[in-house]
Amino acid sequence: MERSDAEREITRIRDAIDRVDEVIVRLLNQRAKYAIEIGEIKGHLGLPVYAPEREKEVLLHIEKTCDGPLDAQSMRRLFERIIDESRRVEREAATEK
Amino acid sequence: MVIVMEKHTAESNIERVMAELVTRGFDVHRSTGSEHTVLGVVGDVAKIDTREFELFDGVQEVVRITEPYKLSSRTFRREKTVVKARGVEIGGADVVIMAGPCTIESEKQVFEIARRVARSGARVLRGGAYKPRTSPYAFQGMGVEGLKLLRGAADENRMATVSEVMEISQIEGMLPFVDILQVGARNMQNFNLLTALGQIRKPILLKRGMSATIQEWLLAAEYIMNGGNYDVILCERGIRTFETYTRNTLDISAIPVIDKLSHLPIIADPSHATGRRDKVMPLARAIVAAGADGVLIEVHNDPDHALCDGPQSLYPDQFARLMDELRIIVPAVGRRL
Repeated sequence: MERSDAEREITRIRDAIDRVDEVIVRLLNQRAKYAIEIGEIKGHLGLPVYAPEREKEVLLHIEKTCDGPLDAQSMRRLFERIIDESRRVEREAATEK
Repeated sequence: MVIVMEKHTAESNIERVMAELVTRGFDVHRSTGSEHTVLGVVGDVAKIDTREFELFDGVQEVVRITEPYKLSSRTFRREKTVVKARGVEIGGADVVIMAGPCTIESEKQVFEIARRVARSGARVLRGGAYKPRTSPYAFQGMGVEGLKLLRGAADENRMATVSEVMEISQIEGMLPFVDILQVGARNMQNFNLLTALGQIRKPILLKRGMSATIQEWLLAAEYIMNGGNYDVILCERGIRTFETYTRNTLDISAIPVIDKLSHLPIIADPSHATGRRDKVMPLARAIVAAGADGVLIEVHNDPDHALCDGPQSLYPDQFARLMDELRIIVPAVGRRL
């Protein structure tokens, strides 16, 4: 591959990454909206925000769904952060009003 | 704050810690490692007593990342605080020399000393009216009468005044005469006094307790600042060590450490640190060289007959010589005198 071709190819792939990121962001926000809804319900009923059993379920589900190239452990670490943020928005939604 | 869980601890232990944190309104960043799980705690963690979490099963270590002091910290305020007392700026470009007798003894004494130290370049006149003496039988000070003399002597030489306040009831009576109220080493953790001083709007000179860590000292400053009085000057005066040759060991390193941790001005007192006249001058030079914003120094016109701390007071001529030496050192560290 010529150097100029290589540069063009990298630009093309980076552009594809940007498109993927946009989708990820949209989906993460969709996920956060669901978390907020749950937070509001929990706040209304006085249920605890932190649900360790459910968090375990989510992570198991992720690991099962994951078929590479990221391995299950990497995916689990990424989702731990996603869950951290969901717990935060849920807590905020539960304590509002 | 970071909570490190023990190697391969049970999931239930991690869950208990997380549940407690979330219930208290903190956010948790969980990071599951191959051996240790680490919980990052986000929120107003200054309120947390780390020991509470150290007691949970499966917790190996609780580490604070942020300092427990806030208002006095450099993180809270990047630029250095300049405290103004009757036109004298402490913490600015000038190194400020505060000098005078340990105790105000008579009109003649305080006016004579004020004239001599002012002529040599001191900008603030020190003098005690209420003396925290180790022995109850030692001279206890002249009280308000002494403060009037201090004010008169300072005015005659266009100086600001600094004097020690020992208890809350003295504050009101001191305000007309004193520009900077000093909290002595023995009172550094007198939290009621500190809280009361947070309510006034006059600079406070907070001496380091002789067995206080830098963190405890900054937390003491926090008590004053928490009340809305942000004009706090910190003063290193020596700490207790195993060495008995000098009275206390002047912690010179506290000067650059405070400068890094806090935006508050830092000065030092070589007189109380050593308790010996012959050691005061070299230490004063070191204080200035280390980057202090000022020096608080005892000078007496007749130290051999002083009612208090004579052996650590400089003769006025010695003080004049010291000032000449400091004038050579100060520009070398990028300051003015």
